[in-house]
Amino acid sequence: MTAEPSGRVYQNRPEIGFIADINPVLPFNIRKIVPAVDSGMLGRLEEIRLRALRPLALGLDTGDVFINESGQVVEDPQKAYLVTREDVERCLGLVSGSSIYALEEEIKNGFITIPGGHRVGITGKTVLESGRVKTVKYFSGINIRISREVIGSARPLLPRIIDREGGTIRHTMIFSPPRCGKTTVLRDAIRMISDGLPELGLPGQAVGLVDERSEIAGCYCGIPQRNVGLRTDVLDGCPKAEGMTMLLRSMGPSVIATDEIGGQDDVRALEEVLNAGVKVIFTVHGSSLEELAARPALNYLFRLGAVECFVQLGRDKRAGVVKGIFDAKNILKAGAIRCIN
Amino acid sequence: MYKLIGAVVLVAAGGAAGMLVARDYARRPVEIRSIITALQMLETEIIYSATPLGEAMDRVASATDGIVSGLFREASHSLLVGEGATAGEAWEKALVNFYRSSSLTVTDSAILKNLGRALGRSGREDQEKHLKLACEQLKRELSRAEEAAAKNTRMWNYLGFCGALAAVIILY
Repeated sequence: MTAEPSGRVYQNRPEIGFIADINPVLPFNIRKIVPAVDSGMLGRLEEIRLRALRPLALGLDTGDVFINESGQVVEDPQKAYLVTREDVERCLGLVSGSSIYALEEEIKNGFITIPGGHRVGITGKTVLESGRVKTVKYFSGINIRISREVIGSARPLLPRIIDREGGTIRHTMIFSPPRCGKTTVLRDAIRMISDGLPELGLPGQAVGLVDERSEIAGCYCGIPQRNVGLRTDVLDGCPKAEGMTMLLRSMGPSVIATDEIGGQDDVRALEEVLNAGVKVIFTVHGSSLEELAARPALNYLFRLGAVECFVQLGRDKRAGVVKGIFDAKNILKAGAIRCIN
Repeated sequence: MYKLIGAVVLVAAGGAAGMLVARDYARRPVEIRSIITALQMLETEIIYSATPLGEAMDRVASATDGIVSGLFREASHSLLVGEGATAGEAWEKALVNFYRSSSLTVTDSAILKNLGRALGRSGREDQEKHLKLACEQLKRELSRAEEAAAKNTRMWNYLGFCGALAAVIILY
């Protein structure tokens, strides 16, 4: 696997504007602690973890730290602020607007998206019905994942995925393990494709975005809170497979974008889009092409041979580092023979 | 002359006091009925529209009138302005103010307080059960309130005047 020479760590701005989105969902005690954290650290904040009866933890790009009542990092977890059961319940109440019943589907999926596109993961005791998760009760853990818009993060890969002759993009798959910036890079790529990049010979394209988890466009009441481009139509909260077909039939997109493809249904819908002359750009969880090929649904996708460009992301000091870009020419060199056999 | 004025004042005061007690008896069933209707509207908003609680309460407040509207309006306001209050806290705070100006009894208030503890904290099915239970309990209180009103409203209306008249006669 060769490293992409143009791949580099994108420069994240030390933005702390997310505090305005996050603070209203934090319980009183923690609402005072988080803004008191050093602003440099807040700029690198990726997660806020509330686990009942355990220390308050912040997930930074360099790893987890425990925080005390004054917002200072403490080495000894015993000295950190101890999250209470009430903190967790109150946080969930605020996240859901005291309306758990209105978010049954989201709770079944294990996360709720709040204004600003930040994802709040939840854990607790699951209630099953016919072997499937019906709901979650006795909530015990909350993970608030900060969604950051990093303008320019997709710039290193754009020249490689643009089809200059056709004035469009190539069918592209972006893959990486979790927390490597797939969604951030995809969002920025969508923005650039939608707005157009005349210097690279790419006119603005009508992009149809299926945002099942409301993470890419961060829609609130249907309106994107993130910049996803001038020509992007967003189908918010819609299952990917259905959404892609709906967009194809209704909005006449030149490019369809979606996040976290994995199931058989997703791949079948993707195949339909690929055969309809519409370009696709999507993300997949996985650390290598070999790993992806071991998944039956994705293996089928590889066998179709339709995806023209595979972008591998990784994590150096920051998320969103382009570790490699493969196409039909160099995929064999990359040792990913299993993928296409 | 003074005796006559005193007697008139006494009869008026006695009559007014009796009428106030009678009014409480007469108002209680009206208020309970109005709360039941409001809770049924809330149930519809929650079960069929999955409307977030703050908004659902605001809609109920707009569709009802009198002090019951105030109860839902105040609870909805606390939830919508993002004060950080849970649904239970917002409801309880609004209930305290509502209870002061209503003719409800401690039992009626306790039913509503219990409902507040469950509001918005579970799935639709569970919310439906809690709302239905509260409505059933209130309906039972309603029939008691209607009986009490039938018995006591007229009695207190007369008792105030008659008691005051009796006092006037004794004092004369």
